[in-house]
Amino acid sequence: MTELIQNLIDGLGRGSIYALLALGVAVIFGVMHLLNFAHGELITVSGYVAYAMFNQGWSWYLVAPLIVVVAIIASLLIERVAFSLVRGASDFTLVLTSFGVHFLVSAMFVMFVGARVKTFSEPGWIADTIAIGPINVEVFDLVVIGVTIVTLLLTVAILQKTMFGLALRAAAADFDTARLMGIDSNRVIRGAFALSGALAGIAGIFWLMRAGNTAPSSGIDPMLKGVLAALIGGLGSMRGAVLGGLALGVAEVVLRSQLPGEAAALTEGVVFALIALLFIFRPQGIISVATAERV
Amino acid sequence: MKPKLLLSMLAAFALLAAACSGSDSAEGDDGGSSGGEAASSGGLAVDIDAMLAADLDNCEPAPTGDPIKVGMAMDFSEVVGFVDIPGSKLVPHVANLINCIGGVNGSPVEVQVEDVGGDATTAGVAAETLLDGGAQFLIGPPFADFALPILQATDGKVPMFVAASTEPSLADAANNSFLVTFDDDGQSRAAAEWALDQGITRAFVFTQPGPYTGTNPDNFAKVFEAGGGTIVSSQTYVWGGDTDFSAQVAELSGILEDNEAMYSAALAFQVTALRGQLEGAGFSNITYIGTDAMDATGIQFEDNNEGIVHTPHVNIQPGDRNDMLLASYSAANGGEELESRGFMPLYVDSLLLGLQGIVDCGCTDSEGIGAAVAKIDGFEGLSGVITYAGTNGIPPKAVPIVQIVDGKDTVVDTK
Repeated sequence: MTELIQNLIDGLGRGSIYALLALGVAVIFGVMHLLNFAHGELITVSGYVAYAMFNQGWSWYLVAPLIVVVAIIASLLIERVAFSLVRGASDFTLVLTSFGVHFLVSAMFVMFVGARVKTFSEPGWIADTIAIGPINVEVFDLVVIGVTIVTLLLTVAILQKTMFGLALRAAAADFDTARLMGIDSNRVIRGAFALSGALAGIAGIFWLMRAGNTAPSSGIDPMLKGVLAALIGGLGSMRGAVLGGLALGVAEVVLRSQLPGEAAALTEGVVFALIALLFIFRPQGIISVATAERV
Repeated sequence: MKPKLLLSMLAAFALLAAACSGSDSAEGDDGGSSGGEAASSGGLAVDIDAMLAADLDNCEPAPTGDPIKVGMAMDFSEVVGFVDIPGSKLVPHVANLINCIGGVNGSPVEVQVEDVGGDATTAGVAAETLLDGGAQFLIGPPFADFALPILQATDGKVPMFVAASTEPSLADAANNSFLVTFDDDGQSRAAAEWALDQGITRAFVFTQPGPYTGTNPDNFAKVFEAGGGTIVSSQTYVWGGDTDFSAQVAELSGILEDNEAMYSAALAFQVTALRGQLEGAGFSNITYIGTDAMDATGIQFEDNNEGIVHTPHVNIQPGDRNDMLLASYSAANGGEELESRGFMPLYVDSLLLGLQGIVDCGCTDSEGIGAAVAKIDGFEGLSGVITYAGTNGIPPKAVPIVQIVDGKDTVVDTK
């Protein structure tokens, strides 16, 4: 029982990062109907910038906000040079474009920076724990969960209390009608990419802190987790994305710990099997979103 | 896309690339070298010291014989590009140095490089391209996914050196396929024996079933238990990916006594991440032992690396022959520092072994060269002494046991 509680806490920490990633995926999907497989590249780019700055002697306190800024800029840049050119194209074209961006960014880092993993120091406190009876709670998990809660509250505030949020929600509900109502589509889409980039940047801080390295393929894992979590939660649903992220994180940790012996190596496979089961009984994911034609 | 936007994107990328690659020099290995004079089973193909002393601005008259053609089928993907990319840069440089001192028996050495393209089909095509170009022997990629299609393309008739590989299944002297270093059985056996020598009787392993990631810990466990030790736990993980080991640490917390050895083929950053998390859970006396992957991914530059043990191929020391060769490359290429320094002697030795085969057989046909390579005995290369005679293509090289002491690689034993 103790181990299970330990697993749940660890899983919530991991799942919080997935939730932030999934939320970024959901924001873009809501507005553009784009399942963005290039989302993880925001972390790749941020990781290399972080690596460069660490080599200049910067500390995590300086690098962390820079990661968010870089992720926002990279997100806007990708929208401008890739997705804006195929806006209005079929969903399939958009997905292929996002794959193209993913492979292009990865290949450019291999060609121009090198294929070798670039390592940097994790913060000194990352492995610190607080003992609560027999449970060891990682300070890192507490920080991640705390920052995720604050970020989610801020995101909700932006979506509920600002004109941009209103426009974004209107566009997500029905993009064409929103445009007819005078909403500037370019502004909404750019705003969505900026918000998605900021969420990826915050997730990226923790992802990179935990990893302590970056590589050309660093974006694959966060991209997969973000997209999967968004799918589990119900594509386009912000609340679903958060729930999907948390569920995925907890499932991974609990399964890896509880599957017997070398069967634990099947964790990823079992997770996918569970997701397949979920989609058999609930194809729309945890939370349903009314579909609408997008740009 | 607007040209101005594209230009600014490329410029930003170039700046980032410069910032990142500029510090690569700080990442290289600073381990030591096997040193020693080049020797051969027949006449000497290349005088390594003379080659290292070559001045590319003041070469001897160019060799005029028929060129010796060497093919490099390299994997430039993220998986092993960190060794194959620098290896494919260094070997042509070494060919230039050899040509600068008169070539091999008056023949210049020509190197053609092909990317295996990240899939088996392209690997086969790359091999065909090299063979069509006249390659007399090949230097191949380290993993079986691409090396085996190349062997199919050569039909086992052209010698291939899998330079950076420790995969025992790739060694097959009958099919002209040769490792240049010890294999996984060798390095994991050496690690287990060293752990037992230290009086460690309990160990746990991290494994991902499959070649390398699974065979190394599996063989470690076998040797460790055969030597009287006990494997208290076998944990699974995602090699090259996982850095959050909280699930495994939670399980291990109920098993460990804090006097165990931990063995895996994990990358450097994974081992230090695991160590941090185990220390956070109160286990600070674990002995961490890893494979050559630790050297490839820069364990020397990780935080919290003190005391970690690994089994690199070559321990380069400042000023030794490997260091001189890498400095020579850097000087000839605008200061570019190659990654994965500890693996580079394996690529150079692959070239030198092929050339030695040509000299030993006094022939130029691939089958004759392969037969001569299979008889090589006591070849003193840059990575150590290499013998193929009487083997299936795995040279019985000594495995250095290296420990990080005061932040630096220190050879503590050789097995």
